[in-house]
Amino acid sequence: MVVLRDGMCPGLSEEMVVALRAADITTVEDLLSSDTEDLAQKCSVSYKALLAVRRVLLAQHTAFPVSGDDLYEDLMSSTAIVSTGNSSLDKLLDSGLYTGELTELAGGPGSGKTQVCFGVTVNISYQLKQSVIYIDSTGGLSASRLLQILQKICKLEEQMEALQRIQVYRVFDIFSLIDCLQSLQCTGLQRASAGGGSVKAVIVDSVSAVISPILGGKQNEGMSMMMQVAGVLKTIAKDFNVAVLVTNTVTRDCNGNLKAGLGQSWSHVPRTRIILQRFESPGSTCSSLRTATLAKSSRQPCLLKEEFDLQCWGRSEDQLYEVSGKRKLEKNSPY
Amino acid sequence: MQRAVSSYPFAPSVKVKLLNAGFHSAADLCDLRPLQLSKEAGISQEEAVEVLQAVRCEPGQERAAASQLTALELLEREQELGSIVTFCSALDTALGGGLPVGKTTEVCGAPGVGKTQLCIQLAVDAQIPVCFGGLGGKSLYIDTEGSFLVQRAVDIAQAAVEHCGLLAEDAEQQESLKEFTVETVLSNLFLVRCHDYVELLAETYLLADFLAHHPEIRLVVIDSIAFPFRHDFDDLSQRTRLLNGLAQQLIQMATNHNVAVILTNQMTTKVWNGHSKLVPALGESWGHAATQRLILHWEGTNRLASLYKSPSQTEATVRYQITAQGFRDVPHSNQPKASVDPTVSQSGSMSKRPRMEEV
Repeated sequence: MVVLRDGMCPGLSEEMVVALRAADITTVEDLLSSDTEDLAQKCSVSYKALLAVRRVLLAQHTAFPVSGDDLYEDLMSSTAIVSTGNSSLDKLLDSGLYTGELTELAGGPGSGKTQVCFGVTVNISYQLKQSVIYIDSTGGLSASRLLQILQKICKLEEQMEALQRIQVYRVFDIFSLIDCLQSLQCTGLQRASAGGGSVKAVIVDSVSAVISPILGGKQNEGMSMMMQVAGVLKTIAKDFNVAVLVTNTVTRDCNGNLKAGLGQSWSHVPRTRIILQRFESPGSTCSSLRTATLAKSSRQPCLLKEEFDLQCWGRSEDQLYEVSGKRKLEKNSPY
Repeated sequence: MQRAVSSYPFAPSVKVKLLNAGFHSAADLCDLRPLQLSKEAGISQEEAVEVLQAVRCEPGQERAAASQLTALELLEREQELGSIVTFCSALDTALGGGLPVGKTTEVCGAPGVGKTQLCIQLAVDAQIPVCFGGLGGKSLYIDTEGSFLVQRAVDIAQAAVEHCGLLAEDAEQQESLKEFTVETVLSNLFLVRCHDYVELLAETYLLADFLAHHPEIRLVVIDSIAFPFRHDFDDLSQRTRLLNGLAQQLIQMATNHNVAVILTNQMTTKVWNGHSKLVPALGESWGHAATQRLILHWEGTNRLASLYKSPSQTEATVRYQITAQGFRDVPHSNQPKASVDPTVSQSGSMSKRPRMEEV
């Protein structure tokens, strides 16, 4: 729905635009869907000129089909799989977060979504030495926690370097979020990648905090804004080959099962969805164990479950093996 | 850039008129004059000027550059902000130094467990001078239940002043003690009384201005946020929307004005699968609102505080007590094994306050 304006293409002059408007043709769509001969007579414009303009506009505004082969080649050369740093989550996600796609983490309060985001961030910025963009809308981002995780796995200079590769944006309402995403789309991503390594992931924590106040009730703009956010996130993922990770709340459906929040329309937006829960074990103390369930995926069968420890990101390789051995021991011990 | 007109923060009527006139994206609008736009879309001149300003100023460059930080810069800022002590060292350690400035904390508990006492203690502690390790700021107390008692605040302030007096060693600390008296503590404590949720929402809208005029405020207490929203609310989905919007405004203020926000919540009973357990009120979606969540509960005659949700601290449970001087530690010899899961209720013993004399 592009409005006709002079200078849009050679041959479309101001007088022609005015003449067309008098005949009720204001947008490109109107021009292309109307009969050229008729229009030429009504507006007293030369038939040849109108035909030329029409041809140029068609060429400018058509989408070009791509063959499956080319698409496959493109995909193979541009998609990367970003590991989350945790082998259980990687197993669920079919070896990691795929660039060009939206992945969602849903969970109740205290279920560990922000901690998983921290772990992924640290893994990308330290292990993979790439940049990450972290958009925080809940105030849950704590740089001292990021430092804590880094301190256990690397030395001081590397810690500072890793922290510098993480770009942080703090937005607290839907319009700031859209502004921020739009600016990232225009210029931000190139600028962010100037600081060594390209941007490999954009993390939005959380997307439900800014959208839920505007959904429902007598407001009719909520859905539209939600879909705008979805559109921009998907465009960023596709155009810049980044993995987008968002977090969401959970609600219960009529059978009492957990499902992701924000309603039916949003549920179609992410490609993969993982639901996090606290580990149900008898006599549980405040532990850091969580279960992750795969709720939506185009690559793995759904309802796969994995258990993992939230503290695994702050441990070195040998410690990880130690821990898993210890856990097996605990399962067999009498208490 | 092709940004849709409907994603801008214009009034709905303006948006509808723009869309009906055929303007769907920012690119359609940017070449127009205000007069042209107001004629074509049928909106007033002022609205046309606003629309064009919003569309043209590519907010990309300036605003993004202003709010963009690297994690390293964020770390430096966090370390400058500090935290507010609670005078209970076990709780301070669990919280990582005290109540963090720049974040929202929610305190939930059954009636009588000590939420208001903690709030009054924090309102006094926020004013401890910098040379004693405090923040030297002012406090704002928004009271919705009417549970703030000035006499109690005087007692707590007196105990805090005496405590600092005992600690004062060098000349600088003696100097600052002269400004830290009960009178100054009370005069730096701003009290607002809200009677229903409309007043509370209005107060939060005005809060941003108030904080801009009083930049020394370091603590905002809302005691309690549950009370106005639990009574006389027919439309529960509206309540959820209002609460979520409120939470976002509070975290925005905490971040932009460097204040610590503490909210008090009540408990409600959830019955499912034949069990009942005590959970914080206001619903499950409210659980995401605050950055940190502290649950205060009883275990026999002991009062326990559990850190249930935090982005940077591990979960922990500590004991505390309420004395005549305020919120304090329990003397070391009496510390029991405090590792009970706070969400598991034991046959209702935690829902009722034990009816016996506290020794």
